[in-house]
Amino acid sequence: MRHPTEGVLRRLIDEPAGVADPDRQHVAGCDQCLAGLAAARSDATLVGAALATEAPVDVDAAWRRLSTAVSAAAPTPVTAPRRSGRVRALVRRPAVAAVAVAVVLTGAGTAAANDWLKVFQTEQIAPVGFSTADLVALPDLSAYGDLEMTSDPGVHEVSDAAAAAAESGLDVPVVTTLPRGITGEPQTSVGGQASATFTYSADRAARAAAEAGETLPPAPPGLDGSSVRLVAGPGVVQMWQSSVGAPGLVVGRAVAPTAFSSGVPFETLRDHLLSLPGLPDDVAAQLRTFTADGSTLPLPVPAEQVTSSSADVNGVPATVLAARDGSMAAVVWVDEGVVTAVAGSLDGDEVLGIARALR
Amino acid sequence: MDLVRSGRAGPAVALAGAGVVAGRGERTEHVALRSAARGAVRADLDEVFRRDYQRVVGVAARVLGSRDQAEDVAQDVFLSFSRSSVPAAEATGWLAVAAAHTALNLIRSGRRRASREEIAAAAEDTVVSDVADAVVTREERSRVRAALAQLPHKQAVALVLRHSGLSYADVATALDLSPGSVGTTVRRAESALRKELNRHASSD
Repeated sequence: MRHPTEGVLRRLIDEPAGVADPDRQHVAGCDQCLAGLAAARSDATLVGAALATEAPVDVDAAWRRLSTAVSAAAPTPVTAPRRSGRVRALVRRPAVAAVAVAVVLTGAGTAAANDWLKVFQTEQIAPVGFSTADLVALPDLSAYGDLEMTSDPGVHEVSDAAAAAAESGLDVPVVTTLPRGITGEPQTSVGGQASATFTYSADRAARAAAEAGETLPPAPPGLDGSSVRLVAGPGVVQMWQSSVGAPGLVVGRAVAPTAFSSGVPFETLRDHLLSLPGLPDDVAAQLRTFTADGSTLPLPVPAEQVTSSSADVNGVPATVLAARDGSMAAVVWVDEGVVTAVAGSLDGDEVLGIARALR
Repeated sequence: MDLVRSGRAGPAVALAGAGVVAGRGERTEHVALRSAARGAVRADLDEVFRRDYQRVVGVAARVLGSRDQAEDVAQDVFLSFSRSSVPAAEATGWLAVAAAHTALNLIRSGRRRASREEIAAAAEDTVVSDVADAVVTREERSRVRAALAQLPHKQAVALVLRHSGLSYADVATALDLSPGSVGTTVRRAESALRKELNRHASSD
């Protein structure tokens, strides 16, 4: 029989009862699997020890703290102004922050090594509809090859916009008028250039598909072992707290993403990846409409919660994203290779107003 | 999301982490809002809190390496939970995933500063023996956490949940994975972290 996968060996360590009898019997009599099992156990023990923490907690004290927070944040019935309700719902880890992170992380660079063919440069932003279920159910790219971070953006806080400009080399946007309910100085963060290389492995992809009970479509010639290099950054984010401590307004700017391929045409890679199991048909169809030169940045949007529409920011086409529940809105646009986003616990018109008045 | 990653290699990597978080985060928020609109704090909060608080702190502490920060994360997570309509039966997984996501986001955003502090602390390194046959130095702990922040989000979360004592079935449900792929995901994450430790050991 074939050898059980490394995932099965791993489970054998924690939950032997969860592993099928034939697999267990095979492992017991197979030197190769026993060696794999020993390696898995050694890694598991080491990582377990490295992550272990002594965390005796005072549950009663923690409960008192939570009770205070819950009652302080409890919604005031009926008369609460709409804004405060929305802001409260954001509770410090809002979509607003996620948008900001996306902007910092998707900043992309211009550094092109000579042996890399440029396959992707962002010129436009187009939101792609995803449901939350799709977001978590789709296959992890790491299952299809090696993903190696080759440079770390090292996102960190700086004292002010001038420092951010000096470090990033970007024109840091200046917000001329803060919206109602938002005051004070922003917290400013800067990230340098991030880059990563993804190398496709037909073997790994086939294995991942088999584990998911799917059959992988045949890979086009030349794809196995081919790499795509992704370059992002630098980027700057300014975040203002609202009066209740949630992020009220986020303004981010970054050099837009670029990808380079070691040779395989972009369309080949895209079409193959699109054919991988787990991709909903309608989303795949949407992705296929992206221009062959890859000039569109698909911004993932959970379709059931966010609507998108087009607008312009001082003559540049922009995409406006607004939460269906009215909790936040964002506007994103790309101008001459630089992507800028304004997001907040505001409505679409408000973020557009701020975006258009940026200096 | 990973589809964007796949389909468009470009922003792929970049968006991946943030996208997953956005998906989860927004879902959380959405649920939170619905409940908040009714103006009620869920009645089973006390019971769920006493049952799961220690574990939620444990999840965050594995990521952050600091109990104080982990307790802050746990408070935030339970605050979101208090206004949510997550069914009680799914609460343990929901809370654990929320704690892991939040803690990972924290170390990602403050990674450089944190690791500098930890490396400074490691200058007067002490050797800690945790498990009978594994001896891990403080510096190694900090390297493992830095490497954890670099893992694909789902791998990192699966790893932390498993080491926090969730069963394979619980991890599979919480992350919408097939039970068969939990082992693979965890193994891959452990292998990546081990490589990170070896890389430093051999370059020292």
